[in-house]
Amino acid sequence: MTSAALQVEEAAGAARAGPLVSRQATRLLPALFQLRNVDHRLMVLEIGSALPETVNFFSEFKCRLHFVDLFGEAFVRDQQSELSEQELRDAFAQQLRFPEGTRFDLCLLWDFLGYLDDSALRAFSSALSPWIHSGTRAHGFGIHHLAIRLDNIQYGVIDRETLSVRQRLTPQLQHHPHSQIEMQEMLTCFRFERGLLLPDGKLEMLLKQRP
Amino acid sequence: MFDKHKPTRQGEPESPEPAATPQPPKAAPAPASAGSANVAMIGPGIRINGDVSADSNLRIDGHIEGRSIESPHDVEISESGKVTASVTAKVVKIAGTVNGDIAGSEKVVISRSGRVQGNIVAPRVQLEDGALFRGSIDMTPTDSASSANAEKQNRSAGEAGTRPTVVTDQGKAATGSSRKDAELTLKSG
Repeated sequence: MTSAALQVEEAAGAARAGPLVSRQATRLLPALFQLRNVDHRLMVLEIGSALPETVNFFSEFKCRLHFVDLFGEAFVRDQQSELSEQELRDAFAQQLRFPEGTRFDLCLLWDFLGYLDDSALRAFSSALSPWIHSGTRAHGFGIHHLAIRLDNIQYGVIDRETLSVRQRLTPQLQHHPHSQIEMQEMLTCFRFERGLLLPDGKLEMLLKQRP
Repeated sequence: MFDKHKPTRQGEPESPEPAATPQPPKAAPAPASAGSANVAMIGPGIRINGDVSADSNLRIDGHIEGRSIESPHDVEISESGKVTASVTAKVVKIAGTVNGDIAGSEKVVISRSGRVQGNIVAPRVQLEDGALFRGSIDMTPTDSASSANAEKQNRSAGEAGTRPTVVTDQGKAATGSSRKDAELTLKSG
């Protein structure tokens, strides 16, 4: 196998999606679309691997989807606590590289923020900030307490009010709870627009770019 | 004396019989992507370093490393196919591995066994369950009218029955597994 093909195998291999296990209603995702008055190509960043239902959902829109599966990256998975904040920032910046002029309208963060420790969260925020604009909104889930279980799952979009939930086939990452105040302090590129505490203890978050 | 194929005598009026030059058989009026007619194949044992340009549908079972693969029709990269190049076609279907950008003027489909790293531009992109993709997808949905029009154009092209040949830059046939009725142009990279 050529090195290029091997690279594809490795890059894509980490992203294999598991079977669809359930559907989850979302109260905040519709707001991402209601708030927008998009007259240009919708720019969407998803932190995670591409799922059929998500691609199918966005096929209604004139859009460009960027999938960046950071869940499988070694610096997130194994080396988060060993690397300095600057090293983490560089590593995130390496992954979050897009064509010149790219500014995302929507960021689908899912539960990624819950797997980042304090310095990784700050580094991620710093690396993402050049790629968002004043109207950018993001959606994600957070946990504020270690007792709250973060399942090893990945999300997709079935429609504006329904998410797909799939088993993640890679080993689960260590999760790092952050209170809303801590999140606010460390995720400097966004501010909370709305938060909704879900029955399982997770916090569904609607975020807006912080000036 | 009963030779039906006897040539017409000089001075006699031309009969309305078919011309002496044999006409190529018409391609089956099936959709280009559905039939096996007009498909150039790069077999599983073939490795090409260079660019590939096809005038017909193209099926890749082998390995290609280059800058581009182009066809105005469909390109299918089978499960054993491995491509490191950009792919441009009407419909691109990937069951194998692609490392490169993909442009489909009608549709791009990544099958469950497909692995793709690159950027996709197409009005419609379909990802099957299990497909692996990393990169960006640029979608501009088209209305059904333009899709129907494209389908009509495709059908017309299929009925035209192109009769291409396989050519390499060395002037040799690319592979014994390549079909005679397809045109391939290979440019060394």
